[in-house]
Amino acid sequence: MDFVTFDASYVSRLRAGDAPTEQHFITYFSELILLKLRPRLRRPEQIEDVKQETFSRTLSLIRSEGGLRHAERLGPLVNSICNNVLMEQYRSSGRVEALEDEAAAQLVETRPNALSIVISDDTRKLVRRVLDGLSERDRGLLRAVFLEERDKDEVCTELGVDRDYLRVLLHRAKSSFRVVYSKRVGASTYQ
Amino acid sequence: MNHQNALKEMAVERYLLGELNGASLESFEEHLFECPECAADVKAGATFIDGTRSELRFPRTASIPQAAGPRSWISWFTSPWILGPALAACLLLLAFQTFVVQPRMRVEIAQAQVPAVLNPLVLANAGARGDSIPEIVAPEHGSFVVSLDIPTTGGFSSYLCSLYAPNGSLLWQTTVTPEQARDALLINVPTGKTREGLNTFLVQGLPISDISNGRLVDLARYRFQLKLQR
Repeated sequence: MDFVTFDASYVSRLRAGDAPTEQHFITYFSELILLKLRPRLRRPEQIEDVKQETFSRTLSLIRSEGGLRHAERLGPLVNSICNNVLMEQYRSSGRVEALEDEAAAQLVETRPNALSIVISDDTRKLVRRVLDGLSERDRGLLRAVFLEERDKDEVCTELGVDRDYLRVLLHRAKSSFRVVYSKRVGASTYQ
Repeated sequence: MNHQNALKEMAVERYLLGELNGASLESFEEHLFECPECAADVKAGATFIDGTRSELRFPRTASIPQAAGPRSWISWFTSPWILGPALAACLLLLAFQTFVVQPRMRVEIAQAQVPAVLNPLVLANAGARGDSIPEIVAPEHGSFVVSLDIPTTGGFSSYLCSLYAPNGSLLWQTTVTPEQARDALLINVPTGKTREGLNTFLVQGLPISDISNGRLVDLARYRFQLKLQR
């Protein structure tokens, strides 16, 4: 996992077109943009278009006269530009107004391979290890929510738990996974 | 939203579960793009969720071995590095028994059950000097008969007859009563109980007067040369 400081030096390198910095910038924010757009856009081409346009505009802005005044605001800048591009995408696809959140939430990509993060064999093994450490009920809960994509309230009621239990379960499982995943991937500090 | 609030509200989990919307969603996403810790947490969570979908959809038939406790001592025996050679050794032993030992035993049994003329070896005149050492040729898997004279000078409660190999090791021993010792003692000796070469029969007597001590008296020593016929 990347823990990098988006400081003046970083922005300066980005502005200068430093290739490693640019690559890091794109890699770091691509994942976040993908996670942001997945629930909102149906087709992978749309997501890719929005992502590319977001990067293009961000880099143009950074390299423009005046550029980015506060380097620590680089992240929110990317997010803000992404929001604008997303709105334009909605309008260009014939939607007059922005989707209501409920409607947007229904735009779930049904093709698991299209937008899912590519899962390596090693990562699957780590996930398996975490899942094996859970009770049968907890595994059933995760299956119902993430694989079968059933209504969460319905599933929780069925299994006799509440939404807080589901959040805590995800928190514990994620934390366990993150410990072993971080060791495997290794922390990379970009300087 | 700041980081502390994000932790307090479990914003990462809510985001991953799609529970944030409206202002809270916008607020968290703005925080997400500027907070490396929350960003890393969300990325790991998303990877875990995608991995869970993958794994639960197509579960592996062989799971990762669970961290077990201390290995049981018996698990050492089930190691393939032990079982393989052990099995090979068992098979070799079985083959040896089947193809070598058992046929030999059948031959010996067959020979023992067939009437045959024995080759007697008469061992006498033990005290005579200059006697040549008698020689006997006996079949390797057969037997031969020894005729022994036991000096019966009297005064012995019993006699002990011992057969010694060429290297001096004791091969066989038996007790003889005075009644048996009156006549020449006939001993059937399986060649398997002897060694090729110079063997010795030692005859000892247990004096009546010394029964309590058990001190034996050497009475005769008969040497003979054994050759095995293969």
